[in-house]
Amino acid sequence: MADSICRTIRDGALEGEHAPSLTIKDTTASPYGFGVFTHVLSQASTLILAGKSQSRGLVVVAYSRSPSFYLDFLKRSGVDVASSQKWIHILDCYTDPLGWKHQLADSGILPSNSSAGACLFQDVKDINKLQSLILELGSGLVGQGKVRFSVAIDSVTEMLRHVPLSKVAALISDLRSHDQISSIFWLLHSDIHDVRVTTSLEYLSSMVASVESLNQSSDGLSGDLGNLSLLEQNFRRGKFHVRFKRRNGRVRVMNEQFHMEESGIKFTSVTVEDGLVSQGLVPKVLFNLELSEKEKLERARVVLPFEHQGNGKPIQIYDGRRSLAPESMGEVSADTSQSSTEECSNGGGEIIYFRDSDDERPDSDEDPDDDLDI
Amino acid sequence: MAATKTRTSSFSRNLPAASSAQSPEIKCGPNGTFLVSSGIPDLDKTLGGGIPLGSLVMVMEDSEAPHHMLLLRNFMSQGLVHKQPLLYASPSKDPRGFLGTLPSPSSPKDDKSRSHDAEQEKGLRIAWQYKKYFGENQSNLDGQRGMILFRFIVLYNKQEFSNEFDLRRPLDRHFYTGQHVDCISTKDLPNIAALQERCTSFLSQFSRYICTFFAIDFVCFTNLLIVTFRNDATVACTGRIAIQSLCAPQCESSNMEWEMLSFIRSLKSTVRSANAVAIITFPSSLVSATFCKRWQHLADCLVSVKAIPDEDKELAKLLTGYQDIVGFLNIHRVPRINTQVPAVLEATTLSIKLQKRRYLVLECLNQAPVDGSSGSSYGTSGNCSGASSKSGSLDF
Repeated sequence: MADSICRTIRDGALEGEHAPSLTIKDTTASPYGFGVFTHVLSQASTLILAGKSQSRGLVVVAYSRSPSFYLDFLKRSGVDVASSQKWIHILDCYTDPLGWKHQLADSGILPSNSSAGACLFQDVKDINKLQSLILELGSGLVGQGKVRFSVAIDSVTEMLRHVPLSKVAALISDLRSHDQISSIFWLLHSDIHDVRVTTSLEYLSSMVASVESLNQSSDGLSGDLGNLSLLEQNFRRGKFHVRFKRRNGRVRVMNEQFHMEESGIKFTSVTVEDGLVSQGLVPKVLFNLELSEKEKLERARVVLPFEHQGNGKPIQIYDGRRSLAPESMGEVSADTSQSSTEECSNGGGEIIYFRDSDDERPDSDEDPDDDLDI
Repeated sequence: MAATKTRTSSFSRNLPAASSAQSPEIKCGPNGTFLVSSGIPDLDKTLGGGIPLGSLVMVMEDSEAPHHMLLLRNFMSQGLVHKQPLLYASPSKDPRGFLGTLPSPSSPKDDKSRSHDAEQEKGLRIAWQYKKYFGENQSNLDGQRGMILFRFIVLYNKQEFSNEFDLRRPLDRHFYTGQHVDCISTKDLPNIAALQERCTSFLSQFSRYICTFFAIDFVCFTNLLIVTFRNDATVACTGRIAIQSLCAPQCESSNMEWEMLSFIRSLKSTVRSANAVAIITFPSSLVSATFCKRWQHLADCLVSVKAIPDEDKELAKLLTGYQDIVGFLNIHRVPRINTQVPAVLEATTLSIKLQKRRYLVLECLNQAPVDGSSGSSYGTSGNCSGASSKSGSLDF
């Protein structure tokens, strides 16, 4: 639930604990992770401005969008950006991450233009410098002391292009354990990376929000042309699945649906309850404990091989000596399987029943007591 | 006994003079092993009395829950309370800070209130949870004779084999400020060699065997070089190593899987010949599958922890006490040193509960009686079906 996420970010970190951290991950099948990221960003900003959250400032490390984009977005979302200098700092790793433009400007090829507002960072391969800059900017916003600030990393995917995973993980864990960080959240495009990268980042986060598509077919080409418009509509929707790691060690799982619109992303609660069955944890028994309706009906229709069915007329049972009289077997008969309690019926089966009395030869003079040896 | 044999040049194991009556921290186990407590009495009972000296315990973490920290905390506190030297390695920058969060042993009157609470269960439940109550009696009978004495004189002598720890009360400072406690941060180590050296030098104080070399210099055969390692397995000479999150992603060395494997192997062999116990926790989902399997094979005692979903109605119907359970503990392998006889456990899955949010308790899973209409049997000891299904859900 997006609200729960925002509340957790609002509440921030407790003394002596790691700061709550959120991974937002998406895939190409449903690439709306950035929408979720900006949603969380605007919610966090609103709360910071209103003074309702633990953190008093926000540092955005922008890799995939320019700082002006964020300021515009916040303005459109109704956040007051006029006073932005006081509560938000955007670290610009988008314009010139490797310092090439700077080099070209130095050699006179490109005109140099100074970036307004945001802090330009030109050395993304140096993770230590990035970390110290984040901390510096943050404490610049909130001052030294007990006040905390939040950090948002635009795209860890972009960060991982320049820096190996262990360094990124080290950065995140350092930030989490820092006294002044209230919360930290980041975006990750999970299908671009190895599974190890995704699981490592999930290991480091206390909330994992994944954006999934509604139609589960991986190729997406299953629909024919008639369904294309439906597919298009469904593409803008998806499932939003969140796992919270709670303090007591339990995992809370929540599901929502989202709908991507022009103005942003909208969350709605799940319309159809799927009924989360804890698959691995329910004991696997060898027999069906419950019958479905169809199975119950079929069971009621089985003709049992007893002479009296309880409905007033005796039933002829095939005893192996006479030919089958089709009239007497006119009822629907069912086939029972050999397993202990499972009952499924296929139409058109037969019950072949041999009476025990058939084993005796007729008119036998043998006295079974003769076998006793007294 | 060994003492009367004349020694020429041989290894001989010097059996420790300390018996259980003298040092309650070490208990005599089967097959000539000595046991130390893991800090969790329920786990000790399941493992057959305690952890044998010389074994390597590996805990597979669940990336969604911090239950391995509960195990580590109790383990470390138990060692510190018994004044056993401790080496602690963790991926955080300040491992020593963690020592301040270790739990303190609970006072005896807290213990009494805990057991009293258990008896106040509703009468209906006792019929199928009876094993819980039998277990307590049995442990008293099975334990060493010295143990019964100690339960009576606990007021005078605080040293028991195993303590209950109160997770809400931090350990007194004097337990961990001392020369015998050493901490390393694995975060900024460029490779695993530094950790390996520290472990080896730590374990060298506890080496078990007396080994006597005679080396004769042929030039002048009056030169005899005798190298003897003294060994006294007294209390001060049993050590504990606790390594937390060995392959955490923030450590540089987490990429070097072969190096880590050889580190674990060398640690295992060094620990085996020392009067020490090492416990390593690692996030199994972050290690590649083949290496995870190799690491598991190296463990003497293999245990994994698992998180449970919150507010899960299916589980709540299936297990009683669901609201108290915080996770599951699966025991995959019990340490069997000096023997080929396998240990068959009654239950391999235990539920981790925090009683009154203070005391760590491991309990066998008790399945709620299933509805009569479905016809399945009552789980009098829900262990069998519970255990098999739970272990089935695990992936290594």
